[in-house]
Amino acid sequence: MSLETLGFLARWAHLALAVAVVGACAVLLVGGRSDRPTARAWEDHVLRWLRRLVLLALASGALLLAYQAAYLSGRAAAAFEGRTLALVLFETQAGHVWLVRHGVLLLLFALVSLRADVDRPLDWVAGRGQALVLGAGALGLVAAGGHAAAVKPDPWPAVTIDAVHLLATGIWVGGLLPLALLLRAASREEGADARPYAVLAARRFSRLALAAVVALVVSGTGNVVTQIGSVAALVGTPYGRLLLAKLGLLLPILALAAVNRRRLVPALSGEAATVGRPAMRRLARFVTAEAMLALLVVAIGAALGMTPPARHQQPDWPFAFRLSLGALQSAPELRLRALIGSQVAVVGMAAALAALVIRSRRGPWLASAAVLAGLGLGLGLPPLAIDAYPTTYVRPRVPYQAASIAQGARLYREHCAACHGRSGAGDGDRAATLPRRPPDLRSPHTAQHTAGDLFWWITGGIPRAAMPAFGDRLGAEARWDLVNFVRALGADTAARTLGPGVEPGRPWLVAPDFTFAVGPTPARALKDYRGRRIVLLVLYTLPDSRPRLAQLAANYNVLALLGVEVVAVPGDAAPDAIRRLGADPLILFPIVTEGAREIAAAYGLFARAPHAEFLIDRQGYVRARWAPETAPVRELNLLLADIQELNQEKAATPAADEHVH
Amino acid sequence: MRLWKVVLLVNLALALGIGGGYLWWGRRTERLERELAQARAAPAVGQREWRVRGVVRAILPDINLMVLSHEEIPGYMAPMTMGFRAASPKIYDGLQVGDAVRFTVRGTPPDVLVTAVDRIP
Repeated sequence: MSLETLGFLARWAHLALAVAVVGACAVLLVGGRSDRPTARAWEDHVLRWLRRLVLLALASGALLLAYQAAYLSGRAAAAFEGRTLALVLFETQAGHVWLVRHGVLLLLFALVSLRADVDRPLDWVAGRGQALVLGAGALGLVAAGGHAAAVKPDPWPAVTIDAVHLLATGIWVGGLLPLALLLRAASREEGADARPYAVLAARRFSRLALAAVVALVVSGTGNVVTQIGSVAALVGTPYGRLLLAKLGLLLPILALAAVNRRRLVPALSGEAATVGRPAMRRLARFVTAEAMLALLVVAIGAALGMTPPARHQQPDWPFAFRLSLGALQSAPELRLRALIGSQVAVVGMAAALAALVIRSRRGPWLASAAVLAGLGLGLGLPPLAIDAYPTTYVRPRVPYQAASIAQGARLYREHCAACHGRSGAGDGDRAATLPRRPPDLRSPHTAQHTAGDLFWWITGGIPRAAMPAFGDRLGAEARWDLVNFVRALGADTAARTLGPGVEPGRPWLVAPDFTFAVGPTPARALKDYRGRRIVLLVLYTLPDSRPRLAQLAANYNVLALLGVEVVAVPGDAAPDAIRRLGADPLILFPIVTEGAREIAAAYGLFARAPHAEFLIDRQGYVRARWAPETAPVRELNLLLADIQELNQEKAATPAADEHVH
Repeated sequence: MRLWKVVLLVNLALALGIGGGYLWWGRRTERLERELAQARAAPAVGQREWRVRGVVRAILPDINLMVLSHEEIPGYMAPMTMGFRAASPKIYDGLQVGDAVRFTVRGTPPDVLVTAVDRIP
């Protein structure tokens, strides 16, 4: 058996035992104290089991710790080395959580082993209540050592939500078996004395379980948002698929629970011989079946704890299509169909909701609502479908940076320009020989495809359009460089819609990140200015740019006061750019001597002019662009007004993403 | 003793232990952080000397000032463009704007002088 399997089994056992401990404590407390002999016998029985469960939980916890040591050190032998175990226990957060949890479990064991006198109600409540609190602590703290604790920057909301999820599981799932024991004991001929007690306990537990299920759904949704985050991650990663399996398994359990709650629990108080006792026997069987199925759900939960969360995995899209509103832009004739379909579906869903609220004739209502919703979806969704590929939702491995775009531009000229044309217009020399004219890469249509789509085509080619595959000729990074370059081409077209001044509150054009250095000083990145300064990026060419640089230099103190850093990039990337500018005028803002070539290549795509200026806001978006071909260089007083506009803006937009989409 | 009293006492002891531990641990972290901040802010005793790299951005002989874009001056100044007084005008003799240099800063911050400059070829 592999180490991984052992680790999984230990985790499953530990989780299931901790869940059972909480459930047993909860059921004892919910049932309340009873003087009936059968009920007392049942309570003793559950307490005996509770002691064993706590001991087993401690043992499986020790196994889990050994597995953790072996896993972290990469050697199976480390599971038995004192030094590695101590390292895991005292130097990792999971180790600290382990120590606290097992301390709590030891306390719980001491409490349940204590044969204390609980004849008086106050003592009984104190003892059982304390057991539940300790058990809940041991189970809920599992969240503080799992995936939720690794959420950045603030893990506490995620840990709280996960702890609620665990506790709700403990109360509902863990309580099923002890309840089944009670029902079975009370349904026997000689257990008649405890029958009222069992009926009361079943009713109370049924209410509690319903609340727990609601808490499970709410906290589970929260977990999905923090650990998965997107549909692609749900269907395209092992973590997401495990979760789908868990949800699939949950359906029959919920169906069983619904039958128990609506049919069997109300029947318990019926006439004993014909209705009450048979219902109680059947309820005991159903509840046991529910618990067994739930044990499998806990197994998937344990497996989820050992699987990297979907958010951090590259999704592998399993379908050949995806749904996108962008599909309607290229096919306007389908818009009406999509609109009608969506409205019919909305009416169907509203009818379904209404059917759930109104009690009479629920069946026919629900059925017709479902038909209506299905019809609407069938009508409205197909027009939204567009082709998709396994890499469609993959995150680019290379960030959107000037260096990557410059490298992509080089590769493009070498491998792509012959067909796609130097500018990306699809007018290369060999374009005419192709079965289909290459598309204009600069058009908005290109932007509707995901970066993963572009990566797929570059990697595998498009046979029907005679586009060759580059997967075996270019490395993955080079292919992502090409994707970044194509994105920058599209951004160029989009950038033409930027007005001459800053449009308030509308950042959308992501500024490619870049790194630069001034002489021998350490390299800086555009990203370093995020949230701190506005950057005026100046691509210049001597001698024509000298008057403008002199003007900016003379007003550098005012610009600095308004929170602006001026970064000047020589278009010819001369390493002695500072010397060439000379001592007059006195220029003190950074003149880029390293990294200029990449910046000029990338930002040159947005403005093919000897002198161009870009105003980049604190979130990393280009907010204005001035190049003589589109808009004359901004007069200083207007530039200062633009900067004031940015300074007055509230940072509502999230910072620009480092990767293209 | 009655069970409820035992439970109460155990919980009280736990709360005291956790609270006390947190206070002790929190205080210790606080104290360490304070000491660290003090150590960082402490003015260097007496004269210090650094040798760092930079690039000449301007020379203003009228006020005996050289403006340098320089790397970090450890324990004193982050990388930035900054004016430095020269120990003597001879130090910037022959230097040109744009020269990459290695220079020596000496003094008791903020009272420092550039005492030597060598061009990096």
